Order: sequence, then C-alpha cells, then structure tokens
Amino acid sequence: MEKETQPFSQRLFRALVRVLPFDFRTNYQGEMEGVFREQRREVEQHGGIFEAAKLWKETIVGIFTTAPREHWQILTSDCAYAVRVMRRNLGFTLMAVLTLALGIGANTAIFSVVHAVLLRPLPYPGGQQLIFIRQREKQIGVEDLRFSVKEIEDYRAQNRTLSGLVEFHAMSFTLFGHGDPERVRTGVVSYNYFDLFGVKPLLGRTFLPDDDKLGAPPVLLLSYEYWKNDFGSDPQIVGKTFEMNDKIHTVVGVLPLVPQYPNENDVYMPTSACPFRSNKMHTESRDMRMMEVFGRMKPGVSAGQANADMATIAAGLKSSYPQSYPDNVGFTSSAAPLLEELTSKARPTLLLLLAAAAFVLLIACANVANMTLSRMVQRERELAVRTALGAGRSRLLRQLLTESFLLAIVGGLLGLLFTYASIQLLAEFVGRMTPRAREIHIDSGVLLFTLAAALGTSIIFGTLSALFSRANVAASLKEGSAGSGTGRRQDRLRSTLIVSQVAFSFMLLIGAGLMLRSLFKLQQVDAGIMPQRVLTMRTSFNWSKYDDDEKTRLVVQKLLDRVKTEPGVVSAAISSRYPFEPEIITAGAAAVSFNFQIEGRQLRPGEAPPVSTYASVSPDYFKSFGIPLKAGRLFADTDAPAFKAPDVVIINEAARHQLWPNEDPIGKRISADGGQHWAQIVGIVGDVREFGLDHPPSPEFYGPQAQGPQPAALVVRTAADPQSMSRALTRAVHDVDPQTAVTHILSLEQARYESLASPRVTSSLLGIFAGLALAIATAGIGGIMALMVNQRVREIGIRIALGARPASILQMILGKGLLLAALGVAIGIAGAIAMTGLVKSLLFEVPPTDVVTFGAVGLTLFVAAALASLLPARRAAAVDPNVALRAE
Amino acid sequence: MSPKKQTESFLPLTQAMFHILLALADGEKHGYAILKEVARRTDDKVRLSAGTLYGNLARLESAGLIAESSRRPEVVLDDERRRYYLLTEFGREVAVAEAQRMEEALVQARAKKLFRKPKLA
Repeated sequence: MEKETQPFSQRLFRALVRVLPFDFRTNYQGEMEGVFREQRREVEQHGGIFEAAKLWKETIVGIFTTAPREHWQILTSDCAYAVRVMRRNLGFTLMAVLTLALGIGANTAIFSVVHAVLLRPLPYPGGQQLIFIRQREKQIGVEDLRFSVKEIEDYRAQNRTLSGLVEFHAMSFTLFGHGDPERVRTGVVSYNYFDLFGVKPLLGRTFLPDDDKLGAPPVLLLSYEYWKNDFGSDPQIVGKTFEMNDKIHTVVGVLPLVPQYPNENDVYMPTSACPFRSNKMHTESRDMRMMEVFGRMKPGVSAGQANADMATIAAGLKSSYPQSYPDNVGFTSSAAPLLEELTSKARPTLLLLLAAAAFVLLIACANVANMTLSRMVQRERELAVRTALGAGRSRLLRQLLTESFLLAIVGGLLGLLFTYASIQLLAEFVGRMTPRAREIHIDSGVLLFTLAAALGTSIIFGTLSALFSRANVAASLKEGSAGSGTGRRQDRLRSTLIVSQVAFSFMLLIGAGLMLRSLFKLQQVDAGIMPQRVLTMRTSFNWSKYDDDEKTRLVVQKLLDRVKTEPGVVSAAISSRYPFEPEIITAGAAAVSFNFQIEGRQLRPGEAPPVSTYASVSPDYFKSFGIPLKAGRLFADTDAPAFKAPDVVIINEAARHQLWPNEDPIGKRISADGGQHWAQIVGIVGDVREFGLDHPPSPEFYGPQAQGPQPAALVVRTAADPQSMSRALTRAVHDVDPQTAVTHILSLEQARYESLASPRVTSSLLGIFAGLALAIATAGIGGIMALMVNQRVREIGIRIALGARPASILQMILGKGLLLAALGVAIGIAGAIAMTGLVKSLLFEVPPTDVVTFGAVGLTLFVAAALASLLPARRAAAVDPNVALRAE
Repeated sequence: MSPKKQTESFLPLTQAMFHILLALADGEKHGYAILKEVARRTDDKVRLSAGTLYGNLARLESAGLIAESSRRPEVVLDDERRRYYLLTEFGREVAVAEAQRMEEALVQARAKKLFRKPKLA
C-alpha cells in the first residue's frame, strides 16, 4: 500500500512543506506526510467534498503560519550568534565593515547622482512628453542656431505632433525699487510656458494670453528661491511693483520650488515685456535668432515622429524663404526628449564614475571574501564541531550568509553616512554639466540601491566563504591534518581573489592616471594670452538709457577714461566678451559665430560660407590680454565714425591659415550682411583659446567697439594683485553710471582655473576611487601573504633546518606576491584596453592606451605588492626552525 | 532562573500547546494520535493541521516540555516514520501551572458572579 505511487494530493502536500526551513523538514517532514495521509484517508472514507476542502484549508493555513515563525527563529538565533562572533573578532569585523563601507558608500554616492540626473523622469507631469527643438546649420558647424520670432510662429502653426510649443530666452536686467539696483536673471517666456511644463504657481497666477500681447502692462513671476532669499518669503508680494527697463512691472505670482530648465532665473516675464524680443527688429525678422524652443508631444506621439515633423517644417521653410536659409549651410531642425538634452553632457562622466565605483565595490568584495576565508581557517574547528553536532550543510551556509549580511548591512549604513557627507560636493560638481544637479538627494530609490548593494555584496562574499567551508569541514576534524587537497584549492581561490583585486585596481588606476595626464596637458596649454594680473567683470548698462550707438559709444569712452585714472591700472578695455568667460564656454563658440563673404570670392554651388567667431573690442584689448600683433596694426582711437573712418577688422592667425593660406589678408575686405557693408582687415593677432583650453583655436574676427559698441565686459591689466582692484573698479563704473550692474568679478587666472573644473573634479574622484582600490588591494596582498607564511611555518622551518638560506625564503615569499601582482596587471592591461571607449571622449591629447600611464601604474602596483609582501617575507625568513617544529 | 520562574515564562500557553500537553498527560502518543485526541476531546473545536501540530511539537520539544520516546510499538503496528512523544516532568509542571492559572481566573469570574444571567430591565 505504501509503496504505490504517490497520489497528486500527497505530492502537492510535499511541495507545500518546502516553504518550511530545511532543518525543520529534515526533522519532521516524514511524520507530517504520514499525518496528512491519515487525515486524507479519513476524509476519503467518511467525509465529502466539504470535508476535503476544509482539510486543505487547514493544512495550507497551518504550514504558512508555521513557516515564518520557524524562519524567524533561525534568523534571530543566527544573528545573535553572528554578533557574538563579530565581537570576538573585532579587528576583522572593523576591517571588513570599513572596506565594505567604502565600497558601498562610493557606489551609493555615485548612484544617487546617476539616479537623479539620468534615471529619474523629469519632475513635471508627463515629463517624458517634453522635447527640445533645435535648428542647426550642420555644414558650418552651428549646432544650435536658436529661433527667430517668425520661425517660432511657423513651427507653432505647421507642426502636427505637438500639443504646445513655447519659447524661452535668458536675459539679465536691472531691477529698481528694492534696495540697490539689482541685476536679475530673467527668463523671457511664452505665456503658456508654465502650463506646458505643468507648473502651478505657489502664490498668485502664472501668465495669461493677454500678458503676452504687445503693449500689455508688464508683469513678473518670481522664482521660489528669489522670493525667499530677497523678499523673505513675503506673502504680500503679489501686486507689488518694480521698475525694470524704464517700465513699471507688477508681480503677479510666485513659482513653487521646482527645478528650472533650461537654467535658473530670478524672475520670469512674458515675451511682450522683454524690450528686445518685442522690438520690431525681432518681431518682424526671420534672421534674428535668440530663442530656445520647447514642445510637448501629443499623446501617443513618439520622439522620432516629432523629430521627423520638425525636419519637414525646416525643409518647408527652406524652400519658402531661400534668402534666410542659404543652400550651403546645411540647415535642418530636429527634436529630442528634453531629458536627453539636459543630461547629454553629464552622461559620459557619470557612467565612467559609476563603473569606477562598481570596481571599488568588487575589489572590496574580493577583499572581504579573502579576509573571511582567512578567518575560516581559524573557525574550521568550530564549524566542524557544529557539523558533527548535526547542523546540516545548508544550515551552516545560512549561518555564514547571515554573518556576511550583518557585516554588509553595517558597512552599508556607514557607507550611507559617507554619501550624506559627500553629496553636496557631488551636486556642485555635476551642476557644471547639467541643470538637474539640484535634484540630487538621498531618496527611497537610493536607499533601496544601498540595500541591494549590501545584499548582493553579502551574497558574493558569503557564498565564497561557504564554498570553502564546505570543502574543508570534513578534513579539519582530523587532528593536525592540513587537508592538503582542500588547502591547495583554498589557496587557489584566495590567489584568484587577489589577482582580480589587482586587475580591477589596475584598471581604476589607469582611468585616474589618464585623466590626470590629460588634466596636466590641459594646464600646460598655451592659451595665447598672459593671464597674470588681469581682472575681468561683466558690466550691464541700463540699456534703455543707451538705446543708440552714439550714446553707447560715449559711455564706453567715458568709462575707459575714468578707469584709466585709477592708480594701478596698466591698461583697460571694453569688449563684448573675453577669453574663458564662463557663460561663453557654456554657450559654446557657436553662440558668438557669424558667417560672411570675402570680397572677390565666389562660393562654389553647395560650398558653405566661411564662419568665424566675432568680438567687439576697444583698442587696448590686445594689450590688456597680452595678445601679440603678428602683422599689420591694432585698432586706434581714430577707427571711429567721428573720424569718418572705414570699418576695419583684425583677424587671428587661425583665420589667416584657414581663409588666406596663400596670400596676405591685410587690405582684404569682408561683409557679414550680403555686401551692404564691407570691413577691411588691418591686422593679424595671435591665436587665443577663448572657448576653453581643449578647444583648438578657430578663426576669430575682432571689430572696434567704436564701430559697433557691445560693452558687456570690462577688462583691466593691473600693476598689482588684480583682486585688490575690484572695489575701486566697481566704484569707477558707478561713478560713470550708478545704474550699471557689475557682476562676475573674476581674475583671468581664476577664469582659466574654473574652465578646468570639470576635468579636475572627474580626475579627483577617479583618483580617490583608485587610491581606495590600491589601498584595499595592497592590504589584501599583505594579509594573504601573512596568512600563507603562518600556515607554512612548519614547512619553512623544515626548509631552514635543511639548510635553506633566509634570503632564498625571502625570495620565495616575495616572488609569490609579485607573481600574483604580475598576473593581476596582465589581466588589468587587457581590461583597460577593452574599456578605452569609456574614457576616450574625456581625454585631451592623451591616447587611452598611453604607454607612460600604463607603465607608471604597473610599476606602482608592483612596488605596492612588493612592499605588502615584504613584511611577511621577512617574518618567514626569520623563522626559527626549532620553535616552528616544536609548535606542532 | 528559579524553577517557578522558568515555568511561568511559558504562561499563558497557546490553546494548541496546552491541548497537546494534555493529550500526552496519560501516555506517549505519535503525532496523528495527538491530533485525533485533541479533536475528540474538544469536540472538534481545536483542530490541528500537520503544519501547526509539528510547529508546536518542535517548539515544545526544544523547550524540553516534551521529548521523543525510545519505546516503539510492536513491529506490525509500527509505522517506521512514526515517532512517539512523551510529556517530560517539566512539561507536566508547565501544564499544571497553566491549568491553575485558568482555574484562578475561573474562580475570580465566579466571585464576580459573571455567570449569573443579567437581569432584564
């Protein structure tokens, strides 16, 4: 009867019982099956279907209420046991926890950034439907042409994929009526800008269609931060008035605390309130492009469809207005998800850092596994005794996993503290690459990641140690047995772990080394200027007072005359921009580029017109920056309308090489407006790396301020420390016009230093990670060699007794350490070469397989391995054979 | 820990535990027999399933309230998978303490005339 095949219900019961802990099943499963069989029989004989259902219900409920209780009991007793073990081995516990904390902390910190910037959707309702639209002139390298008013109207009318399309441009205006004249960052937007993003006001209202009509009374929205910091969160702010651009502006609302894209502003105004945007010059022109454009896709529309839609509109514009879209510039239009647009700059750096952090964690894991293995040797007896007392294999595995998990959890908590401490710095760093940096914080997603990292880590090193204990438990009960077979196997496992630690450390060190070499090269770059003792500042005149060239020319002259009377000023100039200006570097060269024609030269069909960047400068600009004159002459005060002088320009050497390779450009003429006005080249100056040290010089044209005033910056070469002059110079500007805002006061050396902030922080972070990895791996090699010496004391004693010289023992141990390092380096080289793609885009003039870096890193690791093995090796060489042999 | 304190740390027993101890009070039994006896004695009010029965047996056994008996019944009757359980001296003390606890509660309930039918207003 018992031997017949099990009926289905019995098999089902057996499957159910599997939720109980293994040990419980070992003890009671047979009996439980017996009881259930009896119950089943009884029901079959006397009961009906109702009785059977009741039996199943009771059985299932019984098992599922018993199982958690049994598991919990094991967990609590395992934890209590683990805590005792951890306290008994405090040194080991501290080392393991610290190693794991560094590994998990590094990962949590970087993940919190990746999570906030790359993974999380934009914090707006339906944020994935938001797109950024971009017009480009591909053939002449203009990646972001921006939009004119006419174009925005066309895109709005012609698109078939968008439910809304809004514009944005950033301005800087002076606000009066709230203490000193204050420069406010102003976002000029369509009336439905905030509706499109789904932002509801905290106070008052956002803009209405009427606000956007030409001639509407000007209104303002304040950003949350500006309202809070400058107005002390005044609840009565709505309705207050301020003067801007000679007009009274009324505050209609305050925005909530939301991330502001594309950049942060103090106030927002509708397009009608911006004096530039509402000017006829803009509203009636197709070619005055200044605006950025965002759209919201209709439900169900993909980014690809929107992209195609924009391209179609661009093609239509091109055929309707050939004058505005010349054939030879490669005009197109495209759309990309806003999230992608906002994070594309940060992505490669963040991914590299994430990979680096993951490596640190892997190294930490390998190291803790190795430490645990070493400790297993000491615990062999204990584990063997427990096995002998009836603890099953899975029970032991469970115990060891609980121990590793406790270690990892404590490590994880400590790692979280590291993250808390470093997150502010990280956010500042990432802020240079993406406007999403402000969203970085520790949230449930990050905590979950930490937990997962701790869990994963504990499973990796817990399983590794259990793997070993399984092999060794049986052998270790035999008194004095070294378990030669398992010993060798365990040696091999430990060596593998060391080799992998060295390999990963090598890759990390290569990454850090390459970035450092690249940074060093960047710092060595000759920018073509003399940055010492130059002070730069942005000067924003109340433009409404200087609404024509004549008035502007006059104030520029007055300002220069005034500044030159200041003691300590060597030379001074006014310009539209200056080298390393942070905003210009962010905007890129295309923002200050123009295309032009050269007199007497015809473009071949399809040939792109020449393109150059342009700056308007006063005569002493070149002297102030130390830019050398290579041919011809610099600007003179007489290059001005007052002297009926012809328009003139100065070009740089890059322009000469590119545009006039075989002739003298001096005396040649160019036109930027289709031949209506011509300017003559009068001089050639040296190249300047204006847009960052990693940007090779490109053609640049300078025009005199007097012939086209754009007084945006004051640059002064000083006799002493430039910073000490900042107050006197600000006063000088205010003497000339107190309504002028002076901001961004920076020495040129500071500006140059700032321009390298991003590669500097990336190399520092990689350097920290690599340093951690090196320290962990070195400690690992040292520990493993020490253990090896300990285990082999007897063998070494015999060798010495048999006449081995201490030097050869030293050599033997050192050799083993170096062999492990060599294997690790070899694998590391292969890995580093395989991963070159990750760093390539971040390097400047350093190949990703740079021989110097590889050599230096390899040497560093060898030296570290040698040093780490030296101490155990010397101990081995000093073994006294008498003591060693008697010890057993 | 004094013996009394040790006993008291188990009180109050769960219903299932108390009835299992009670079932073993008049001799050793195997699992199914315990289950049957409890059901019979409580008029099917306390119904144990395989899971709850062995969960409780495991806990009683590890606490030393019951133990596995070395006695096996005659081969013909014996199912080789069956184990017999007996009440230990300590288990008996705990069961007695529990019964006393319930008795005290009962006495107090009587003193308060809890069982008298409420007068209708």
